[in-house]
Amino acid sequence: MRRSLPSIIAVLVLFLGWEAMCRGFGIRPFILPMPSLILAETLLSWPSVLNHTWATLVTVLLGFAASVAVSLPLAMLIAASPTISAAIYPILVITQSIPKVALAPILIVALGANELPRVIVTFLVAFFPLVVGTVAGLLATPPELIELGRACRAGRVQELLRIRLPFAVPFVFGGLKVAAALAVVGAVVAEFVGADAGLGYLIQTSMAFFRTPLAFGAVVILAIMGILLFQAVTLAERILFPWSSGAATPPASS
Amino acid sequence: MIRLDRVTKSFGSVEALQDVSLEVAPGEFVAIVGASGCGKSTLLRLVAGLVRPSAGHVALDGRPVTEPRAETAMVFQAATLLPWADVLRNVTFPLRLMRRAGGDTEARARALLATAGLAGFEHRLPRELSGGMQQRVAICRALLQDPRVLLMDEPFGALDALTREEMSLELLRIWQGREMAVVFVTHSIPEAVLLADRVVVMSPRPGRIAEIIPVELPRPRGFEQEGLPAFQAAARRIRALIYGGRAAHAA
Repeated sequence: MRRSLPSIIAVLVLFLGWEAMCRGFGIRPFILPMPSLILAETLLSWPSVLNHTWATLVTVLLGFAASVAVSLPLAMLIAASPTISAAIYPILVITQSIPKVALAPILIVALGANELPRVIVTFLVAFFPLVVGTVAGLLATPPELIELGRACRAGRVQELLRIRLPFAVPFVFGGLKVAAALAVVGAVVAEFVGADAGLGYLIQTSMAFFRTPLAFGAVVILAIMGILLFQAVTLAERILFPWSSGAATPPASS
Repeated sequence: MIRLDRVTKSFGSVEALQDVSLEVAPGEFVAIVGASGCGKSTLLRLVAGLVRPSAGHVALDGRPVTEPRAETAMVFQAATLLPWADVLRNVTFPLRLMRRAGGDTEARARALLATAGLAGFEHRLPRELSGGMQQRVAICRALLQDPRVLLMDEPFGALDALTREEMSLELLRIWQGREMAVVFVTHSIPEAVLLADRVVVMSPRPGRIAEIIPVELPRPRGFEQEGLPAFQAAARRIRALIYGGRAAHAA
């Protein structure tokens, strides 16, 4: 608690300055609403905001789960063989070069206006850093550790499961943290293009009616959602792999 | 028990070892010294069965070494402990990996750790230990396999000078109580002379054995022997072989 105090004060100061600036300069609310108005407007339409939040959260979590389910096996394949790596990596980079905003309408036409295209867009935005991080972790195992495994006559599967994979855990969690934050971005991108619920949809419809405070409210909720997901991943790491957390980068040699 | 017969090892067009023949008797302590790139580590990996010779034969107890064997255990320059496992699980890791862990494995590991001065650290993580302690854990890990050949690749190279001397003496103490041959790669000439029955001096590019120097010092060895003529003579001879004529002037 003591350590989070400075950040709490910083955020409070930021919002107070914002509020003072809006009041002092008389900025009109549809251009830049002041925090108190954002809060009031958001609370006013609370049940509907909650529904939208829930819709976005579902998309985010499904997309995040899909990223994990695809990325980890994919990373193991890439790390296992240079040939597979050479074959798959260019495709991965292509998926990353395509703007997801451009892809979203195509997917919605192809798959229909339901949850699936949104989850796919979320997945496409979130999975890449997870794959890259996991591959880096699997390949970062010190060669001596691999030799130790080979000296103990460990097969490739044993080497992967008992040496490479545990060694990659800090890298995987690095990727998971980025993916968690990106999943929120991906879900909102998808909702901008085709959705009838969700915070991205709420932002668009609010702005169409110049209800800027409500749109700001949705943005704040998205930020909180991102922070909470990030913290959840951090907490999971601390509980499941206490040896991994604490070190920002895993030890290089020991 | 170890026999290298005219072994050559090339990596691509680079010849790491050329025509190397060496025999190590059971329970013998052999040190290998030489400049960087003289194939010391390759030699060790050949005996470990981690690499195969390009030409010639490597045999252990008369049987050719084609893959890693249970009789050999290795210690590397870096402790290479598993960062996620505590000290005890690190020490038992090879046996668990080879499915040779029995009911007494843990008790033996604890006893071994105690003789290495690590009692009470069984459940610490590697990152909580000093470099010297980590390397002790790595040595315990190798010893728990009850190897008949212990292969050490600059095991004390990453330690500070004081820890290094302390560890050398400790290694000698451990080795004396066992029927175990040691092949010890090092950059340090005094370390080689202090530890070994014979010092194999290698020359680089391509790696060859320049000379094998027997160390005629009584055991148990200690640093007080450093002043003895036999110690000095052996060290001087090794130095001359490594540096050629230059050593005489520098000394």
